[in-house]
Amino acid sequence: MTDIVTAPLLLAAVPIVGAMLGLVVWSQPEKLRIWSIIVTVLSLLAVIGMFGRMTVPAEGLLFVVLLPLAACVSLLGQPVHRDHRLAWVMTLLFLGLGLGILASQYLVSQITLIALLGLITFLLIWHHDPFWPTSWLGIGTFGLGTLCAGLAMIADPPVSSVASLLACAILLPLVPFHDGYVTALTRLPGSLPPFIVLLLPAIGLHDLAAVLPTLPEVAVSTMTILALVGALYGSVKALAQSRVRLLLAYGSISFFSILWWFVAASRTVIPQAAVFLGAVALATSGLLLAWQVVRTRYGDDVDPRAISGLASPMPEFAVLLSLLALAAMGLPPFGVFAGFMGLLLTSSLTLSAALLVIVIAWLAASWYILDMVQRLLFGLQRSDLRYEALRPAELASLLMVVLIVIALGVAPVSLFGIQTQPPRAGAVMESVTWNR
Amino acid sequence: MSAVILVPLLPLLAALIVLMGNEGSRYQRAKIAAYPIGAAFLGAIATLWLVATQGPITIRFYDPASLSMLAFPMGFYIDRLSAVMMVLISGVGTIIYTYSIGYMYQDPNDRRYLALIAFTTSVLLCMVSSANLMMLFLFWQVLSYMLYLLAHNHAHAATLEGAFRTFTLLRVGDVAFLSGIVLAHQLYGTLEFQTLFAKATESAVMLTPLPGIEIGGTTAITLLLFIGAMSKSAQFPIHIWLPRSLYAPTPVHALLHAGIINAGGFLINRLAPLYGLSSTTLHVAFVVGMVTAVLGATTMLAQNDIKKTLGFSTIGQMGYMIMECGLGAFSLAVFHLIAHGLFKATVFLSCGNVIHKARQEPEFPQTNHAAKEEEFSRLTWATGFLTTLLIPLVILLVSHGVLHIPLRDSQGTVIFLFFIWVTSSQAILTLIRLRAVASWKVSAAMLLILLFVVFIYLFAVESFTRFLYPNPAEVATYFQAAALPNWLFDGLIGGTALVIILGWFYIYAQAQGRTMWVPNWVGGLRLRLYVLFLNRLYLDELYQSLGRAVMHVVHRIDKRESGWSK
Repeated sequence: MTDIVTAPLLLAAVPIVGAMLGLVVWSQPEKLRIWSIIVTVLSLLAVIGMFGRMTVPAEGLLFVVLLPLAACVSLLGQPVHRDHRLAWVMTLLFLGLGLGILASQYLVSQITLIALLGLITFLLIWHHDPFWPTSWLGIGTFGLGTLCAGLAMIADPPVSSVASLLACAILLPLVPFHDGYVTALTRLPGSLPPFIVLLLPAIGLHDLAAVLPTLPEVAVSTMTILALVGALYGSVKALAQSRVRLLLAYGSISFFSILWWFVAASRTVIPQAAVFLGAVALATSGLLLAWQVVRTRYGDDVDPRAISGLASPMPEFAVLLSLLALAAMGLPPFGVFAGFMGLLLTSSLTLSAALLVIVIAWLAASWYILDMVQRLLFGLQRSDLRYEALRPAELASLLMVVLIVIALGVAPVSLFGIQTQPPRAGAVMESVTWNR
Repeated sequence: MSAVILVPLLPLLAALIVLMGNEGSRYQRAKIAAYPIGAAFLGAIATLWLVATQGPITIRFYDPASLSMLAFPMGFYIDRLSAVMMVLISGVGTIIYTYSIGYMYQDPNDRRYLALIAFTTSVLLCMVSSANLMMLFLFWQVLSYMLYLLAHNHAHAATLEGAFRTFTLLRVGDVAFLSGIVLAHQLYGTLEFQTLFAKATESAVMLTPLPGIEIGGTTAITLLLFIGAMSKSAQFPIHIWLPRSLYAPTPVHALLHAGIINAGGFLINRLAPLYGLSSTTLHVAFVVGMVTAVLGATTMLAQNDIKKTLGFSTIGQMGYMIMECGLGAFSLAVFHLIAHGLFKATVFLSCGNVIHKARQEPEFPQTNHAAKEEEFSRLTWATGFLTTLLIPLVILLVSHGVLHIPLRDSQGTVIFLFFIWVTSSQAILTLIRLRAVASWKVSAAMLLILLFVVFIYLFAVESFTRFLYPNPAEVATYFQAAALPNWLFDGLIGGTALVIILGWFYIYAQAQGRTMWVPNWVGGLRLRLYVLFLNRLYLDELYQSLGRAVMHVVHRIDKRESGWSK
């Protein structure tokens, strides 16, 4: 009992206290960034130390491990600048809140979620990016999420279940509640977008696993339809984008919608769902970090169509970006493919419109992601552009993401504290020999 | 036994040797890396011997019962088919790599290129020795991306466009393959080859994808997997990636045409017991193969670019290969792909020398066509014509009397004999037109060589079938499943023979300078067809329009929806 209370507290406390201590070196950006990175590593160590003392949720403990890693790579991939200090501290704060939500019991978890959503809403109102107008629809969506999380705590079923479901649809973006996610990914500063791309959906899936058994049938049917619409919608929107952050936001919405469909159709969250979500989010995070590398060199307002031929002068960047693109497209041996195949093979999907929509969304990813990567890496080198190889911190952050996504693809799921489920009923267990 | 794993790993080692190290030892490392690939070839030969004498080798690093829990089920299943393919791939890979060392000497991108060649060889070897359908699919997809990289020049816009299109089209095949795998797992609960075949044989499942439409489970699976095979083996209408990828370095073409493109034929052979359960899929394969063979060969004749000509020649040959699978002659398809692979690899690797020599030869290519036509020889022509009529009779006698092939019961064998006849006839006609020398010696030599080649081919194929599929009952089952209605089969054979014989007469008359009356509309049609095939049936333009239409719709949806891009 003591562990159930202390473990989440400790996990949340390490980054939150770290964020506060970081204010001591606020005037020294370089030190603040190093300190923030150290805090994420300490956070990871705390998670590993607490592994046996935490209650294992339906989706396993994968997200608790991935969150500090995602925070670490997000911080590593940022250039040192005074303007990024707020983002670094907020990353630590979000990490603390995220770990608290994932590891705590229901009531504490919901209160922490309200705090997190409130903080994101505040940041979106307060922070202005000169290249992106303020999105009141996105801010409103987070406001709705905060309201739903609060309602889920105080109302009785089925209102609480539906409110909780709406909050999940905002966190793990489901059309038409995806605006908040897109806004956060495009408007939040510095290291926050590559981090929240994992944080929000992970919390969404965690909460969804809890609320699924209480949902009315009509809500599940609606989820199924919205998920299929969302998978196509995300692909179509991603295909139409020329701005990288939007493309990645809509692309990930398409993949998350696929996950929604599987969860709704099976009415359960299986371990492969966590692997799929973690891998999609990290691959997107890696691509955002790679785009950050380009922005650091050519400005925040750079048009990706104006940059080409990075492969020859920046070979390490080219290799890592290509690997991340392969992961995001769902190619082996990366986690997206492993999770996707795991979901497909454990579902009861046969020849149907759903399978068609899912594979079309999967195919479309090859189109828009490869198109983006090919435009950046290949083609003629521009003589008026200054090409600069990856800095050690950038290299480390991208390499770490690639390795994590590979690990998610090849490592046994039991490594992450996920209990394997028994094989599907009807599967052939005995060895039958084909007689030629 | 477990040492056979080294065969696919050695080329990977070669890739690492090429990539790792300083600039000074670059050329030395490139040469050293040839040894592991050569060792893989020797290992493949040893594996073939082992498998032929002791039976299939199975090595698994996973639990087959929990395949869906781990999406990387690494394991090897090497039977005679796998071993033969391993010998072909590693052999061709060794030659191509060794050739490439000199070919890419002092090229700034030689490291990347040589490493890719070695890595692709490793991927191909892993693919053909996969223990289950999932692992095969894993390497199948990696191969799609390798093809994208190999057919790729960083700074050349047309190459980039071609590589992008190649990857997109191959992904279409990958998606179908994926759907087939999912369906197979849903229906039979396994992706292990042997178990899958056994379960599919035991239980016939019917699916209803749309109200009122029923389809057999095996048919649905094999059709989806067949689309995957179509994409890799450049079958109509998803063949356009192959001619578009011809900007790549010449050795890449050798690897592509001798190894990668055979993936479709290998897949169908690997799953032959499954395909043997679905007559519908085999018939679809026959039609697709036939259409591809006809269109590929015809388009090849109309091309004026040597690389495109060779590309469409390969498409035509792949069409034949798939057609053979569609007729249930699976082993023949493997024999065909080996023969074609070796032939095309030789052609591509030697084309540089030919061009070099042609540039030194002032009278080549010949421009004096009038002088050439005067050389027409009645004697040589008669020899060729008689030979083409004589050969089928001799083949029939030998196959029926000596090899004891039941011709009446196996359409696949008849098609094979027919294929030998047509091919040898075409060879004779081509020889006559190139060097029309009126000499009994030339005619006799031509006849003897041709008969020798035909008989060797016939005996080799028969022996190869017995080697690959030792159980004659199994072979008979495939032929039975693939059998076409007699009227259709006879019509196809008779119609094709008629067209070919008429073609000979027409060519003969033209060569003699005689005029043949043909209706005016035939002349007009011929011209229109020529333009159509010269432009490769306008399929490139059609796909481009399709892509533009899709993007137009996408942008319209994007504009209508009040999204965040505004």
